[in-house]
Amino acid sequence: MTALLEVADLAKAYRGVHAVDGVSFAVASGTITGMIGPNGSGKSTTIDCLSGFQRADRGRVSLDGHDITGLAPQKIARTFQTVRVFDQFDLVANLMVAVEPFRRVGWHDALARTARYRAARDAAEARAHELIELVGLTRLVAAPAGILSYGQKKLLALAAALMPKPRLVVLDEPVAGVNPTRINEVADILRKVNAAGATFLIVEHNVEFITGLCDHVIVLDQGKKLVEGPPAEVHSDQRVLDAYLGIDERQTSAVAEAS
Amino acid sequence: MKQLLFAAALLALAAVPPSFGSNYITGVVLSGLVFTVAAAALNLVYGYAGLLSFAQLGFWGIGGYCSALTVMRFGGNFWEGLLVAALVNAAIAAAVGLPTLRTGRHAFVIITLSFALLCGLVARDWVSLTRGPLGIPGLPAPSLFGFAFSTVPRFYYLVLAFAVLALGFLFALGTSRIGDTLRAIKQNEPLARSQGVSPLAYKLAAFVIGAIVTGLAGAIYVFYLKIVDPLFLDFYYMQTFLIVVIIGGAGNFWGVVLAGLVMVALPEALRFSNDLRMVIYGAILVVAMLVLPRGVAGWFADRRLAALRASLK
Repeated sequence: MTALLEVADLAKAYRGVHAVDGVSFAVASGTITGMIGPNGSGKSTTIDCLSGFQRADRGRVSLDGHDITGLAPQKIARTFQTVRVFDQFDLVANLMVAVEPFRRVGWHDALARTARYRAARDAAEARAHELIELVGLTRLVAAPAGILSYGQKKLLALAAALMPKPRLVVLDEPVAGVNPTRINEVADILRKVNAAGATFLIVEHNVEFITGLCDHVIVLDQGKKLVEGPPAEVHSDQRVLDAYLGIDERQTSAVAEAS
Repeated sequence: MKQLLFAAALLALAAVPPSFGSNYITGVVLSGLVFTVAAAALNLVYGYAGLLSFAQLGFWGIGGYCSALTVMRFGGNFWEGLLVAALVNAAIAAAVGLPTLRTGRHAFVIITLSFALLCGLVARDWVSLTRGPLGIPGLPAPSLFGFAFSTVPRFYYLVLAFAVLALGFLFALGTSRIGDTLRAIKQNEPLARSQGVSPLAYKLAAFVIGAIVTGLAGAIYVFYLKIVDPLFLDFYYMQTFLIVVIIGGAGNFWGVVLAGLVMVALPEALRFSNDLRMVIYGAILVVAMLVLPRGVAGWFADRRLAALRASLK
């Protein structure tokens, strides 16, 4: 397996708080990689830096071997922790905002509705309908996104992220606040898209969801990488339990007595 | 159906001068057309791109002074005056917009407001160029191939042609992918960015195009008034453009065009009661805002949404 995304020694501080403090990891091509960690462990800052929404203080991000540090490449798509959709647009119009399908179309083509523009638009519309069907929102296709439920908006945001045919999709808490009965649906959709060739990096608090879905899990704690490995291994790692649940006092005192 | 409606509206507008035979009514509709174009330009900037720009008033005034000065001072003709107005406005809008659009929402409002006030001060105090409060009177009627637009009905057709061209352009822009992208930026800029859009380029384009169209409207309108003076930068004009956009429904093309024609004619239609007409006008505005908080277009959008909700149940 080759590494699609490589992050080396990434660091970002906010007024002296080291949100991310020298994190290195890789996302292998074709996998679903999970990133977990307690609140404030630097997960969101990490993905903000690698998708170009924050400028890292230090470190290097490369995609397919190309240095993309500080850039916002179209090959990396992302969703947001607080769900974002274009409330006033219907579902198709939401997906049509993506620039990538229109990269060969000039503004004058758009203004004069040339054949080139219409061809790009028709192709993009067809893809938008496919993606809406993939996430199971076809029934609501004509509705403005503002009337969707929270979970439906998350699915729409996922479809929108897939619109530019990205190499890597970064999802920030895709199932937080989603009705538990629908979480499996989301996992199924992600598996389907993954099988079609997209690589995922998923930040999530729902450990069960991550364990069931991911090939590889990275655990962050206090801005540093704590552990990484296959989900089952990480799941039972004492350091991970300590980071999440706090260190058991009896144990610590036992260690102290022994030494 | 739409084409038919459009043709009928155009025919009705073209029939205004002969059917009323009154320079007064023709003049009111003429003003309505000019203000509608300026409002549609503000709609591009505010309604589509979400930028509450008071600079439109400055561009309107700069356009008026540019065309007047070109003719009265620099020996050009009316058409060259229009070209100068468009070019000067484009340059100033780019220079003002580039730094201003990088600021936050509120700072943008304040800076554009200051810019408009500054334009008024320059018009009043740069006496050697603008003749200050005296203004530049006696603007001659424009002519084309020997045909002089010297009467109100003749000038009306010049304005009608300009309005059709300008509104046609703004319509093509607003309903194109560019218009959709602007509305996307207005709704959620970070999301638009994550979809590959460069918001600054789009906002700057909207700001500059809005400035050019507004400037052209002002440049033509001073030749109807036959004078340009610092009152041409009075806040009354900005207020009219804003009322039209808000009543029509920010971000909707036809709503704004419809509101433009109605709202400009309304104060004139109320002249039957000269003492109370502005009071009645104000009352109508308040009621309109209570009943149609998102404008005419917003009302229709709400009805459509209600129908859609019902169909999904």
